[in-house]
Amino acid sequence: MGKQVVIVGAGAGGASVAAEAKRQDPSLEIVMVEERSQVSVAA
Amino acid sequence: MPYYIGDVIKDEKRLIARTPEKFRETGIDVRIDTRVEEIDPKARRVHLAGGETLPYDILVLGTGTKPILPGIPGEEREGVFTLKKLSDALRIKAWLKNVPCRKVIIVGAGFIGMEMSDVIRGLGIETQVFHRGTLPVHRWDPEFSKTVLAELERHQVGFVTGVEVRAVEEGKKYRLRLVTNRGEDEADMILIAVGIRPETELARRMGLPLGKNGAIRVNFSQRTPEEGVYAVGDCAESFHRVSRDWVNIPLGDIANKQGRVAGRNIGGGSAVFPGIVGSQCFKVFDLEVAATGLTEREAADSGFRPVSTLIWGNSIAGSMPGNKKLGLKLVADRATGKLLGAQAVGGAGAVSRINTLACALWSELTLDDLGWLDLAYSPPVASAWDPIHVAAQQLRRQI
Repeated sequence: MGKQVVIVGAGAGGASVAAEAKRQDPSLEIVMVEERSQVSVAA
Repeated sequence: MPYYIGDVIKDEKRLIARTPEKFRETGIDVRIDTRVEEIDPKARRVHLAGGETLPYDILVLGTGTKPILPGIPGEEREGVFTLKKLSDALRIKAWLKNVPCRKVIIVGAGFIGMEMSDVIRGLGIETQVFHRGTLPVHRWDPEFSKTVLAELERHQVGFVTGVEVRAVEEGKKYRLRLVTNRGEDEADMILIAVGIRPETELARRMGLPLGKNGAIRVNFSQRTPEEGVYAVGDCAESFHRVSRDWVNIPLGDIANKQGRVAGRNIGGGSAVFPGIVGSQCFKVFDLEVAATGLTEREAADSGFRPVSTLIWGNSIAGSMPGNKKLGLKLVADRATGKLLGAQAVGGAGAVSRINTLACALWSELTLDDLGWLDLAYSPPVASAWDPIHVAAQQLRRQI
């Protein structure tokens, strides 16, 4: 099993982390947790 | 989001860079509407509201900011908004349309206050800005913020100064009444835009160090001092390349870059976030307002001996119709002649000057470099002596 990555907050920062980390290493197990109903919103 | 509210952007989906479904297609698990209750850094576990626990090897905090509220009675009333989340934008747009709104009061005269006054006035709604100080956008010198104020007035946006808000009550003529030190005013909507601060509650509870600006401390690879824990975006610090200090400037472009750096490092690569120079801009009606680097005050506080000049130059050839004056202020260090900061206000072209000067700050150019810089010139779009040349040579003579 790949490394477990938990990202708290899926705004511009968190969503960029998820996309880039997965691109870099597809074996990573990434969970992104967001308290709102949308992710990756342009403010 | 202001441009969605102003109906410049019609579809809210255009604001979403990537949907949860798109993330899931790439194998990323996305939990929306899910609050994190607690993080246990010793056990390396994230506790979610509802009882589920997520173990981690690597944790990233991208908790963003929260809006500052004045803490006055009635601020939770229907029709009083802050603008932070997409859901705020949706609710504001629906409120403006359905109530329908005849008048809006915006409390605060920062970026959000300016952008929102532009778009709400653009919808034909009477708009007033209530401000604690005397001039909008304090990041800029009074001469430039007076230009911003004149632009508001030219578009019939009211600007009320020296205001302390006291309470929001039910209105008579309009839906809401705002009670202030200056009396009572009514409107159908009140937008509170007095500022934001980093959201660091989880970070603080897990014992992560915060900087003097209240943001999470990180290094150049976005790592916090806690092993395996990263922080990115508006909740984290950035290194300011001019002041050589760690700062918090909450802007989406910085969050994108820090996120990409952290992601690359987490994925086994190696990336460094090289810092910022403090570039920022906004548009209000027909005016571009931009700045980069340090103000004179910040420069002095950082140990420089700042000198400055402020000029009104030609954004395109002075002989061409449509030429508008462009205000440019440069701040430089007396000891080294290096540029330390810049501000610009004008029609088209203010932001492009600031972007040029951001490059100058990034690579530590001097006024001598800037005074002779080879910039593109053609009469309808540029001036032979660009305001950058004029200001740099003028300031050079003062040293």
